[in-house]
Amino acid sequence: MTVTDISQGKRFLAQGNVYLPHIAVIEKVIDETPGVRTFHFNFKDEKLRAEFTFESGQFGEYSVFGVGEAPFCISSSPTRRDHLEFAVQQVGRVTNALHRLGVGAEIGFRGPYGNSFPMNFLEEKNLIFVAGGIGLAPLRSLIWNVLDNRNKYKKIDIIYGARSPSDLCFKYDLDSWNKDKTVDMVTTVDKGDESWTGREGFVPQVLEQVAPPAQNAVAIVCGPPIMIRFTFPVLGKLGFTPEQMITTLEKRMKCGIGKCGRCNVGNLYVCRDGPVFTYAQIKKFISTEY
Amino acid sequence: MASSNKKINKKDIGKLLNEWSQEFTVFVPSRETGTATMAKWDGKDTSFLDWYRNTVVSPKANILPPMEEMFHFQKDKEGYHIELPPLDGHKQLIFGIRPCDANALAILDMTFNDSYEDPYYLSKRNNTILIGLGCTNPYDSCFCTSLGSSPTDATNVDLMLTDIGDEFLIEAITDKGKELMANISLAEEATEADEAKAKEAREAAYNKVTRQLDIKNIDEKLLASFDNQDYWEKIAAKCISCGICTLLCPTCYCFDINDELLKGQGARFRSLDSCSFPVYTKMPMENPRLEKWRRVRNKVCHKYEFYPMNFDVIACTGCGRCIRLCPVNWDITQTLDIVPAKA
Repeated sequence: MTVTDISQGKRFLAQGNVYLPHIAVIEKVIDETPGVRTFHFNFKDEKLRAEFTFESGQFGEYSVFGVGEAPFCISSSPTRRDHLEFAVQQVGRVTNALHRLGVGAEIGFRGPYGNSFPMNFLEEKNLIFVAGGIGLAPLRSLIWNVLDNRNKYKKIDIIYGARSPSDLCFKYDLDSWNKDKTVDMVTTVDKGDESWTGREGFVPQVLEQVAPPAQNAVAIVCGPPIMIRFTFPVLGKLGFTPEQMITTLEKRMKCGIGKCGRCNVGNLYVCRDGPVFTYAQIKKFISTEY
Repeated sequence: MASSNKKINKKDIGKLLNEWSQEFTVFVPSRETGTATMAKWDGKDTSFLDWYRNTVVSPKANILPPMEEMFHFQKDKEGYHIELPPLDGHKQLIFGIRPCDANALAILDMTFNDSYEDPYYLSKRNNTILIGLGCTNPYDSCFCTSLGSSPTDATNVDLMLTDIGDEFLIEAITDKGKELMANISLAEEATEADEAKAKEAREAAYNKVTRQLDIKNIDEKLLASFDNQDYWEKIAAKCISCGICTLLCPTCYCFDINDELLKGQGARFRSLDSCSFPVYTKMPMENPRLEKWRRVRNKVCHKYEFYPMNFDVIACTGCGRCIRLCPVNWDITQTLDIVPAKA
């Protein structure tokens, strides 16, 4: 019988029960786009606040009591421990309820769950971040993590796109990365408006134009499924092997710990075996299941 | 050589259940609700010994109920407070579980023990005694023998009963079973003749399972056929996505989690869910298994390809419920018989 400790020993269980959320308090709300908000939060329990740790790429299950629970990645970096962040697009029951909450409101949190970006593997490599829309949220945790340890990594490219200028998330981060001379940042929108002077075009096309060399590089991709599907072939054309392509997937989830069943891609559970995967791991099933 | 097994007369089963009722909540096969389930024993009725072949609702419901409260919460001036319902679990004894259903619990254990232990499942599982009852009259939909088991397989029960005519032979399988057997006041030592009758009964039952499924390399065949949409569309054609095969399947465990709220107080519940339902994987913007053939493929592959990849065991025990209770006669054995060997 296989019993794997997916928590790597880090278990922050409320009352010893994995399904019980910890109470957390919202400290700040940022409007990213008309439909996306970032929430800063901290645990109500001081001890947990001090002890809690996580890795870039991990996620949590967030509760609005009486409405339900939904999974979101932790979008802040483990190198910045003052508070935790997550970003939410207003699309369903729980996300709508979250959008109604303001500073001081209490939510539930359990986690961190899932695996994380392979930090050791990324060291001494050229990193190409490819993100679309709110797909920047999980990569943002990794990008800040990498930038806070800048000398461990080689060249850094960030290619980020959204449908329109108003759909660009984390504009304050985009500004800092644009100004950072150690980062090559390209921002694109599918379609600009009157005031847009930047690039236009879909993320996979822009990636092909930027054409980062595959030598000693790793591409980390996150965005809507359609963007992910079109990005892998472009990376393939640029010479990236499936092991050099990393993504983080999103699925409908309930339990977050590999039991409730629904988030599988083939035999892998996005919550338990992911959400971070190499393309090599999922290419068998991704063509039809994602 | 004297046998270490015992025997009990069928007429004394009522008394035996009464003895056990002193220590456990005893569940027996019942048709009281109109559907055969494991229900609390009423203290007298043992007529199930005449009609019982298997329950419609598998005994997984005693461990993973269709719906259960996970916790409740309320809000006051200081904020939210969360309270757990008591989880210590009353001691229950399930009398008459069939080998297929007992084997299924061993398969469920793998998921609920894996990494994070599931406290709701395990508190009940660890407080449950399984008294197996070998089949004498399997259904034509049964195919346990194709999965390495048999109608009298005692592997995953505490005590095993085998029908030897007017009596049941009793074998203790686990330590808990040994302790129980030692305390049965009405049991007698089994003789060599009893053992011979049990052996005969086991062979007869084995031979009554006529449905056969060839599981050799089935996981590899399914992997090769994963992208064969024609095959899956043909297999899924008559499925009406009612979910009954999964809800009644003793190895299906998928669940949903939802909140209920009433006047500032609320509770979180979990309830059985089914991969047959489109909403099961529905996300606001998309649904990876919106099409029926993808859902049927997931159900079949989960049992015969993915579970073996993850836990080295096929998540099917051949109980046949998904065949005999399907409203449109969908048949897992036919499905697997015609998996193309190559894509």
